[in-house]
Amino acid sequence: MKGPALVLREVRKVYGTGEREVVALDDVDLTVDDDEMLVLIGPSGSGKTTLLTVAGGLLRPTSGSVVVGGNEISSLGDKALARFRRDEIGFVFQSVNLVPFLTARENLLVVRQLGGGRIDRDAKSRADNLLGELSLADRADNVPSQLSGGEKQRVAIGRALMNEPALVLVDEPTSALDSKLGHQVMELLHQEVKRRGVAAIVVTHDERVAEFGDRVVEIIDGALEVAQER
Amino acid sequence: MSIAFKELLREPRRFAPVGGALTLLVVLLVVLGGFLDGLELSLTGAYRAHDGLVLVFDADADRQLQRSSVSDDLAGILDGLDATNGVGSLDQVFTVAGGDGRGLEDIALYGYGLSTAVLPEPPPPGSAVVDAQLQRLTDIEVGDSLEIGPTAEPVTVAAIVDDLSQGAPSVWLATDEWRRVVSLGIPPALPPPGTQHALVARPAAGDAVGLAAELSAIDGLDAVTVDEAIEALDVVQQQSSTFEGIIGVTFVIVLLVVALFFALLTLERIHLYAVLKALGARTGELLWGVAIQAIGVSAIALILGCGLSLLFVVLLPPELPLRLVPSRVVQIGSGTMITALLGSLFTIRRLLRVDPAEVIG
Repeated sequence: MKGPALVLREVRKVYGTGEREVVALDDVDLTVDDDEMLVLIGPSGSGKTTLLTVAGGLLRPTSGSVVVGGNEISSLGDKALARFRRDEIGFVFQSVNLVPFLTARENLLVVRQLGGGRIDRDAKSRADNLLGELSLADRADNVPSQLSGGEKQRVAIGRALMNEPALVLVDEPTSALDSKLGHQVMELLHQEVKRRGVAAIVVTHDERVAEFGDRVVEIIDGALEVAQER
Repeated sequence: MSIAFKELLREPRRFAPVGGALTLLVVLLVVLGGFLDGLELSLTGAYRAHDGLVLVFDADADRQLQRSSVSDDLAGILDGLDATNGVGSLDQVFTVAGGDGRGLEDIALYGYGLSTAVLPEPPPPGSAVVDAQLQRLTDIEVGDSLEIGPTAEPVTVAAIVDDLSQGAPSVWLATDEWRRVVSLGIPPALPPPGTQHALVARPAAGDAVGLAAELSAIDGLDAVTVDEAIEALDVVQQQSSTFEGIIGVTFVIVLLVVALFFALLTLERIHLYAVLKALGARTGELLWGVAIQAIGVSAIALILGCGLSLLFVVLLPPELPLRLVPSRVVQIGSGTMITALLGSLFTIRRLLRVDPAEVIG
């Protein structure tokens, strides 16, 4: 066993210096288990985005330890961090951010191509399976401009799961969707994450998303408070 | 297939501006290169007819044919050397030719004594070898009569050879016939008795460079290869340096066009690059993608540009000295691709600064 999917120990992230110093994460301790879906809520500027970027290896903490899938990443260099993100992290971005000129299937396969990887038969089969599970089999050859908002969000979920990551990080998944579609997308995300036993952190303003979390954690001024545990 | 290549194929309109500009620049480069080669070839045909042989000038003549005067005695000495396998004279004068209802054309009239890969054995008295350029201008054919010089000395065309223009279309006579025709029409242009303008020596071992060095050691002689003789022509040097300068500037413009276009495209794509970096792309991969697109666009521009250049050349008047030489087109093609590649690399600074964290929040 490699241990929990994510362990943050006394993680501190500070922007600026002197009088302009802003503490975005204030000695945060957090553990996310292998198949746990954690919902992180908090007001704007509370530090939830910073926590997501630190956990995903997009930012290095000012101090503290970040362990993902058993690997300490806080001291990795840029190349190693890029490899780590490619192999261990699945991202679902707030504005979806699909590659506009690639089809839905190619948007899933693109994560296999990065880092000089090859798209083999297994990769194609996995992409097709994911698209099938996400009810997008008949949209596989459509580019993002031919997809609805909900379909794009589902493709983004497929892309996040494509490389069998240790941790899926989801940023405001329902912010661009109406409440019905948002609920459907969250249900699908929950179902896919649980089916694979993958850990996930969902950052949201939307309190209705909280019902999908195994645990809900609130972040205020860079510090965590357990809001709800199931 | 790479992501960058897919974008190139699926969103060609995005690359149309740079593709169009590069196509026009390729047309300019090919046409400039064509004029460079055409002008050089039209000024050096008589020398090039002696490729692989050695041209021997008077040491004081600065390698200029009409300034040179080499004696028959020296010709005899060279002919007796083991290193030579035949020596002949080479004389030149500029005059006119016409007759048979044709207008007068300026010509370079040569007397020669040695056949080459291009020139046949010197024709008998009363006949001449004519080059393809004079044929183009006058529609003359083998067996037709041609009147040469101010006295309109008639000769019959015995053969037509490739374009051997050297500032003007060329007509070739045997040395004695050349002296006869020149002595009647332009006596002051005749070299003194017992001399000729220059000699042509055929190396026994096929080594023109070695033979040139050996003959240059003889007092009063300056022996050179054909390439060296061409380099000594001031007009060729001036034209070459002028055209090469313009071609060089055009390549700089290619560099700037590609660099500017991809710099703007990179700015436009910052968010996409940030997403790809967040997903695990390295800066090198993104740079490689830009380079692939630059090479792809320039390759398409090359194909279109070469096609348009061919059309353009066909539409030009035939008397313009423009020649499309394959080696020059290959040179321009590889130069364009390399320049486009270098231009695309100007994006590296911006790509290095793309922050993947920007895509969250």
